[in-house]
Amino acid sequence: MDPFFLVGSLVCAVSAVLCVGAALVRQPPNDITILSVAAVELFLLAYTVAAGIRQLTGEPVLGEAWEFWGYLLTALLVPVGTFWWSILERTRWSNFVLAAAGLTVFVMLFRMEQIWDGVAGL
Amino acid sequence: MSSRRNGGSPAERVGASGAPGASDAAGAGGTSRARGPGRLLIAVYGVFALAATARAGFQIATKFSEAPLAYLLSAVAAVVYIVATVSLARAGTRAYAVSVVAVTTELVGVVSVGLLSVLDPQAFPSETVWSAFGRGYGFVPLVLPILGLVWLRRNRPEQRRRK
Repeated sequence: MDPFFLVGSLVCAVSAVLCVGAALVRQPPNDITILSVAAVELFLLAYTVAAGIRQLTGEPVLGEAWEFWGYLLTALLVPVGTFWWSILERTRWSNFVLAAAGLTVFVMLFRMEQIWDGVAGL
Repeated sequence: MSSRRNGGSPAERVGASGAPGASDAAGAGGTSRARGPGRLLIAVYGVFALAATARAGFQIATKFSEAPLAYLLSAVAAVVYIVATVSLARAGTRAYAVSVVAVTTELVGVVSVGLLSVLDPQAFPSETVWSAFGRGYGFVPLVLPILGLVWLRRNRPEQRRRK
């Protein structure tokens, strides 16, 4: 899963930087920040499909499988939730909320990698 | 409702059909603490409520007997985060009072559990959100209540009446 982790971290980092940057220059959420969060969601969808395929083709999660999928399903909701909230209030603070999506998903991705590799100690 | 001023019709539709909690907050007539920086605060609190609840649930469900005190504390932390998230998002003086209590409890909790876990690691064999002042969570649990109290202080109900 390492290539996935690298790509995912990169997407999350770029999204968070773009959103924080936009917030710092006092921009309300715009196409760039919203699309960057959409990219995070897109990555998570690809990750979900890949994880499903790997599970089914005999490459099981070494940690608790239900914990892995719990994380993944929750992570899938995070970008959607922040997007929805950002269109309710169009101020620069919503860009900080959008940035929180990238950071949160990155942390969850990190945990999912740990669980997948069976090194998770909760 | 100034926050929706720039929102197009899709935004209105999503807002109208969305989850009850947050749309209450956004629709509370513009005097709510759920605007601007408060919005970010609530988002972070929401993430922590979710993370702490899931973690405490997992710990209690799978290995409660290993460290009952630590896992009970995890559960208490989760409840505090949930109460703080909800009360911060709601308008009104009662929600304000509840959020002051919740955020203060959180600050006391993270400082005392942090101190205890450093001074007497035996008492806390297992990690909680508040162990070592929230080190496992980038010290956000320590910073969050301070920012929360500052935000609440700057948005006292008395001050909001001028609106």
